[in-house]
Amino acid sequence: MIEESISDLEIHGQVVEEFGSSTTSRTWYHYLLLAACVLFAAVSVGFVGSIFQKSLPTWLHHPATIITGSGWQSPTGPFGGLAMIVGTLETSLIALVIAVLIGLGTSISIVFFLPRRLRNIVATLVELLAAVPSIVYGLWGFLVLAPWMYKSVDPWLNSWPFAHTLFGDPSQQYGPSLLLAAIVLGIMILPTFVAISREVIAVVPQDLIEASLSLGATRWQVIRKVVLPTSRIGLFGAAFLALARATGETVAVALIAGGVAKVQFHLLDPGTSIASWIATEFGEAQGNEISALMALGVLLMLLSFSLSLVSRWLVSRQRKVMAQV
Amino acid sequence: MNDLTQLDEPIEVAQSMREEIRRVSHSTRARRLLISRVMTILCALALAIAAVPLILLLWQLVQRGAPQLTGTFFTKVPATPSLLDPNATGGLSNAIIGSIALNIYAAVMAIPVGVLVGVFLAESTSKFASALRIIAQTMAGAPSILMGLFAFSFVLQDLHVGFSAIAGSFALAVLMLPVIIISTEIAVLNVPNTLREAGLALGAKPHKVSLRIVLPSALTGIVTGSILAISRAIGETAPVLLVIGGGYLNSWQPFNPVSALPLSIYENAKSPWPSQRAQVWGAALVLVAFVFVLSLTARIWASRKQKVNN
Repeated sequence: MIEESISDLEIHGQVVEEFGSSTTSRTWYHYLLLAACVLFAAVSVGFVGSIFQKSLPTWLHHPATIITGSGWQSPTGPFGGLAMIVGTLETSLIALVIAVLIGLGTSISIVFFLPRRLRNIVATLVELLAAVPSIVYGLWGFLVLAPWMYKSVDPWLNSWPFAHTLFGDPSQQYGPSLLLAAIVLGIMILPTFVAISREVIAVVPQDLIEASLSLGATRWQVIRKVVLPTSRIGLFGAAFLALARATGETVAVALIAGGVAKVQFHLLDPGTSIASWIATEFGEAQGNEISALMALGVLLMLLSFSLSLVSRWLVSRQRKVMAQV
Repeated sequence: MNDLTQLDEPIEVAQSMREEIRRVSHSTRARRLLISRVMTILCALALAIAAVPLILLLWQLVQRGAPQLTGTFFTKVPATPSLLDPNATGGLSNAIIGSIALNIYAAVMAIPVGVLVGVFLAESTSKFASALRIIAQTMAGAPSILMGLFAFSFVLQDLHVGFSAIAGSFALAVLMLPVIIISTEIAVLNVPNTLREAGLALGAKPHKVSLRIVLPSALTGIVTGSILAISRAIGETAPVLLVIGGGYLNSWQPFNPVSALPLSIYENAKSPWPSQRAQVWGAALVLVAFVFVLSLTARIWASRKQKVNN
């Protein structure tokens, strides 16, 4: 499929080069296409430029505070972004660990263990779940999972001997927390991760699997020694896409993380993330605070762009690997 | 993969190697099988752990949402519950109309531009095209709150348009654009080259070939991509949260403040009134129904087209 489209691209490229350079293509149609492209380029430049321009006062006057400062004093400042940055990293990395651990097993089960007919149904279901709006996951986390966590899971976690360093909620007032946000994010990005990793695993060539089986490898050995190494890079790509979705998630985290701008390493305490802080604070923000929130947006943009850069690089490497086998 | 015929070891060496492999294989067989079984069970367990919350979510959505879907829900605007009448939540017709209006305006803005850019990317090999492709892919993964910030800073602050449907539609259009561009490009690339060459061989000009042959053949893919873009946009809260103003009236007017389904879910989930928190499940069910219908339509459409092609 992928190779086909790549070779298609090349052949087509030749056709276009042969005919596109002739003067006949300079028609109104050509200019219409170009105009649309210029408009899109302008929108994307405006997208980055406009947010950056509005955040400029913050970068000029308090460049360090917005990255390393803790505490958010609205409406006058200082506006420190450290709590949001740390909260974003904590919640999305824990969510990623949850999603990858469970998702990898799920994808392997779907591809290798489920009967063929069930496989397609489950695959469609997973893709539909990946399309469920994040606000619905947030709502479910807020109204169903959270009360259950407060009652049964949180006190139990807090009773672990080393709990106070990891989960510790000394006040024992269980409520919205970073851990809850991370779990809901994990559940939310799980279908995203499974949808992609299932496809990556399913296209591992049957020859390789059969060759390995014929040499006497057990089912797990085939998966461990053949399937996972072959699809390794694609799986990393899937993980990065899932991570990108978790870091950018706004309203689900805004509902369940607690919205407290404090650097938290105790996971049962309330915290916040960059995106959800922008969403919750923007309504009442004025002047400098808007600029500080835009600066947080710039940080989020940098984070997201670098994640997408890495994942695109991984996907292109996977294509090369698959083209070789 | 090496060519097996190039192996030039004497047959005896190969024989002894085969014996050795067979011996090792037999001696480790029990352990390998055990590990395989354990790992199989762990994978199945992962599937079960993944299924529980997700199925629970869908089940509770239907179970709690369905009773909320009354006539009032679809036809009345929200009311504020009071101590005298704690169940007077009204309906969410403003949010339903708002969501539909927002997405229609956004689609009208995004689809023409997105399709044209997608066609250009598929038909051009220039540096400009590959730069645009990278931009589209990067924008497709950008957090949706950034579209909200962009709409706020550009439409509200720079253009001095107030909180309005059109500002939210602008944010959603920016969200839809990359999805439409990427799917259009793929759809156009999937049109067989023989069709193009046949058109060119008959003496049609390249732009006629593109307009009359390539675009009609790629239409299904383009429509599918556009529907998927809308189904993604209709569920997004963050882009519209900052700019649409959350109006309480039914309004199709682009310059009036409107509400949207995801926004009213976000607002009412935190309500102190149990009746409003219950109503939120109805809104969530309607929203998920919108998304499922849209993405299933796109999927069925795409698979039917594939059958026709085959």
